[in-house]
Amino acid sequence: MNDPYKVLGISPSASDAEVKKAYRELAKKYHPDKYADSPLAELASEKMKEVNEAYEKILNDRKNGVSGSSTSGSGYGSSGYSDAGASSYANTYGSDSVYQQIRRMINEGNFGQAENALSGIPSDSRNAEWYYLMGVVYYRKGFLEDAYNYFQTACRMDPSNVEYKSMFSRIQQQRSTGSGSGFNASGAASQAACDCCDICACLMCSDCLCRSCG
Amino acid sequence: MFGYLRPESSELRVREFELYRSVYCGLCKSMGKDYGLLTRLTLSYDCTLLAMFAVSLRSECSHVRDGRCVFNPMKKCRFCSSEGEGFRFAGAVSVIMTYYKLQDTISDSGFFKRTAARAGRLFVKGSYKRAEKAYPDIAAAVSDMIASQQQAENDHSGIDASSDPTATLLSKLCISLSEDEGQRMVLSRFGYFLGRWIYLMDAADDLEKDIKHNNFNPFRKYFEGDLFSAMEYCNSVLNMTVSQLVLAYDLLELDSYKEILDNVMYYGLSFQQKHCLFSKNNKKKCSKKEKDHYNYLSKGEKRS
Repeated sequence: MNDPYKVLGISPSASDAEVKKAYRELAKKYHPDKYADSPLAELASEKMKEVNEAYEKILNDRKNGVSGSSTSGSGYGSSGYSDAGASSYANTYGSDSVYQQIRRMINEGNFGQAENALSGIPSDSRNAEWYYLMGVVYYRKGFLEDAYNYFQTACRMDPSNVEYKSMFSRIQQQRSTGSGSGFNASGAASQAACDCCDICACLMCSDCLCRSCG
Repeated sequence: MFGYLRPESSELRVREFELYRSVYCGLCKSMGKDYGLLTRLTLSYDCTLLAMFAVSLRSECSHVRDGRCVFNPMKKCRFCSSEGEGFRFAGAVSVIMTYYKLQDTISDSGFFKRTAARAGRLFVKGSYKRAEKAYPDIAAAVSDMIASQQQAENDHSGIDASSDPTATLLSKLCISLSEDEGQRMVLSRFGYFLGRWIYLMDAADDLEKDIKHNNFNPFRKYFEGDLFSAMEYCNSVLNMTVSQLVLAYDLLELDSYKEILDNVMYYGLSFQQKHCLFSKNNKKKCSKKEKDHYNYLSKGEKRS
């Protein structure tokens, strides 16, 4: 195994708080929720595992051989996130077998095959799931705009489905903020209005409450 | 390429900024040595970034030396050079891209531009032949890209299909930077979204011009008389591309230049986006309220 301190990107003399901070940051970076439906999900979960192991090893070492169950300190247990990528299409939501087959193809990485199978379904019998799966295929291919439109349609056709809704809201989040950090927010919603009237009203209100203007 | 991939210098440390400059100058020097004096003029920020990725991913050893600038001998520069292929690779990409871009201009521009491009091509031709011989794969990939780009524009494709050729090209270029199977997978996705971002950024930047001259532009469909709301749409498309790009970037195993590359990915791209979409364009023409909004967006808050 690699040097656990190198994995977390800190020096062996780092304090416990620094270790924890570095771990938290990396755990956030490789969090499986961010990589859901991405072809890189498996690699991200490997990284996550590596980080978890490194963190646990450091904690254990620092406890200096205090025996047994020492995982209590780790916020994100390694078992919780290790297979997030693989299991995401196992659920069926009571769909019929054609879509199950297509989900299997997507799971195995046969996107071309899945796309062909989806295109083979006549347009009058396409339901919300069809649009969702088509969205997944395009998303993986990198055709983000088409994927966005398919997910949108899927949500419109079946607004109660949690799977579609969570995917769609994740994408909307990405569209409005770039790297998911709130850095590149756009649109009128983010515009904070503040003019003379606001200031006056604010002063008057605070004056009512605490007589700040004497 | 287009020069959108640059670090946000206000977020760089001074030593990082100097290192970046020395990479730029070093690449210029390496191109001069390999392909002749004139090709140095084709150097762009994009290729500088590519050189840094190449050196960083292959853990090549690099060192910095003092010297003087060829174009301005009064100026002292520091030159970064690497032991491996990284700089050569980026130089070849720059020369090959320039050659094909000139070729493209010759085939679809007016008389004056065409003549200028012909003259330019004459100068680059020798260098291009040398680069093609050293890196036949790059030349083949670029010529494929030009052909499928032409096709996509003739078909009046949508956003995804028209950005696909550039995205695929960058994906191919990035894959060649690593031997490791897992890293190649990450690089293929990383390159794809990097190319997609560059293409769409260029398209959004040219939107106004293209509408005026009635040229093809994938965002044209979304323009309904109001440039500002069209730009907001472009911004959300680019945002989504950046977030996918960063996901792949976070999984790359980088060695040197990590801080500078982080800066480009986390700050530089967003800054360029804002600058090109909201503060550079037509500030004069819009109303006061819109102008305030542009200013607000272009200042924005930095991420904490």
